[in-house]
Amino acid sequence: MMAIIDGVLTMLKGHWFWGAITLICLAWYSTVTVYVAIKGARDIRNMLRRLSDS
Amino acid sequence: MNGFTILDGGIVGLYLLITMVVGIAIRKYVGKVEDFLVARREMDVYLGIASLAATEFGIVTCMYAAQNGYEKGFAGAIPGILTFAAMFLVGYTGFCIKPLRDSGVMTIPELFQKKYGSGVRWAAGVVIVLGGLLNMGVFLRTGGDFLVTVAGWNQKYLEIMMTAILIGVAVYTILGGMLSVLVTDFLQFIVMSAGLIVVTFLILGKVGWGTLVNTVDAHYGAGGFNPFLNPDVGWSYVVFNALLNTAAVLTWQTQIARVLAAKDSATGRKVYTRTSFFFVARFLIPGIWGIAALAMLTPEQVGSNTLLAMPKMLSMVVPVGLMGLLIAAMLAADMSTDSSYMLTWGSVIYNDIMAPFRRTKWSEKKGLLWNRAIIACIGVFLMIYGLWYKLEGDLWTYLGITGTIYLSSMSVLLIACCYWTRANNWGAFAAIFFGATVPVSTLVLQKHGPWTAWIKGNGPLCGIATYVIVAVAMIVGSLLKPQAQVATESSSLKPVEGVQA
Repeated sequence: MMAIIDGVLTMLKGHWFWGAITLICLAWYSTVTVYVAIKGARDIRNMLRRLSDS
Repeated sequence: MNGFTILDGGIVGLYLLITMVVGIAIRKYVGKVEDFLVARREMDVYLGIASLAATEFGIVTCMYAAQNGYEKGFAGAIPGILTFAAMFLVGYTGFCIKPLRDSGVMTIPELFQKKYGSGVRWAAGVVIVLGGLLNMGVFLRTGGDFLVTVAGWNQKYLEIMMTAILIGVAVYTILGGMLSVLVTDFLQFIVMSAGLIVVTFLILGKVGWGTLVNTVDAHYGAGGFNPFLNPDVGWSYVVFNALLNTAAVLTWQTQIARVLAAKDSATGRKVYTRTSFFFVARFLIPGIWGIAALAMLTPEQVGSNTLLAMPKMLSMVVPVGLMGLLIAAMLAADMSTDSSYMLTWGSVIYNDIMAPFRRTKWSEKKGLLWNRAIIACIGVFLMIYGLWYKLEGDLWTYLGITGTIYLSSMSVLLIACCYWTRANNWGAFAAIFFGATVPVSTLVLQKHGPWTAWIKGNGPLCGIATYVIVAVAMIVGSLLKPQAQVATESSSLKPVEGVQA
């Protein structure tokens, strides 16, 4: 855990803009992948159901 | 080099099998041309996000973004930030995409017919297809180069392997159209994202953030972090990319197809705002891979083609098992891009270029048959063009110039169509003419003539000039047309919902 915190702090030193944007990017992308995987599966199921019904 | 083992082959084979089975199974839901081209406009937000993200990230994207990272440092990720800003603003405000979706058209040229007449619709269709297919032509070889380099396969199998992948993609796209594309895109988004995230953490762990920053500092100094201080980037590159990416967000066929397939304009706008940050990742993640290649490889190991630096680095650091996930992720990225590109450009050929041949209504069966035949023809074109065109200059600039063939004129036409009452077909034809001739002349002069060196070094300036010339052509052309003629023609055109006539 300390190693991760150290890594994050290192990324925010010096060229903080690129460090911060990389951290945000990885955190956002990891979260969105899981979220879209769950919600997107529901969208597909609903879409195919509507297509079958009509 | 770690190589490609049976375990990796099993992971890739399983991914390909599931994708093909699902893609082909969806064909039973296709009964009409509208199902085939825009999924009967049943796409909801999260499926739209997965599909848009998967389509807009192919192997070719990964390669040019990594090349940018290798050659320009972190400053090379600036196109991603510009795209994010453009897409977020367009999605948030509904600029152009709201009236476009509300009009109920299936393609952008169809909207143009209602404002500018059928001649402009046809010409716009031709320009869109020309620009799009030239752009897409380099995908196949670039994707093959990545796969053979990273997996350590023999170069002589590149053509066979890419042909097999293209045929697989064409089969489910031809059978299931947009419905198959959306569902397979969803699977491909998950596999692709898992691979990208895991490999990025692996690289950060192995190389270290400090090493990446120090490498960029040592090679490019402050210019590696600030695009305006980088001699290879500079203001012209930033301005050109701002124009290019805004135009792409408004009119790039694969992006706008998601807006047109959405349930309504509100859904389309949500897809744009919520996917926008992905475009930062689209440049930054491969850019970090490119910087890692700069840190780990000597110039001798990279050779003259910097495009291959990143795959060479990956072949050294990615272990067995993860290599299978990486190849599956990249195949997923490439297949989702190819399927969507074939379908959306095919839709313009059918809907707009062939419109004059469909004066009487075609049956749904005949329409579907033609759409499927067009996609098959695009697949054949890709195989031929993709295997003989030799790329000069850097990949991103080539894609930018070929994309500008239609992005410049189509974005100007769309903005004028939605928000400028005086816009008419004179201005539209002038914009299309200059939008096509300036980038094509650039491509020709890049290979022949006395200005070869200057043009190769000033691609962004040529791109900016195109956008300015096209906008001026639209304004001057529209103002030159006599008002009496405008009034007569306007009365014969159908009104467009949300669009000023």
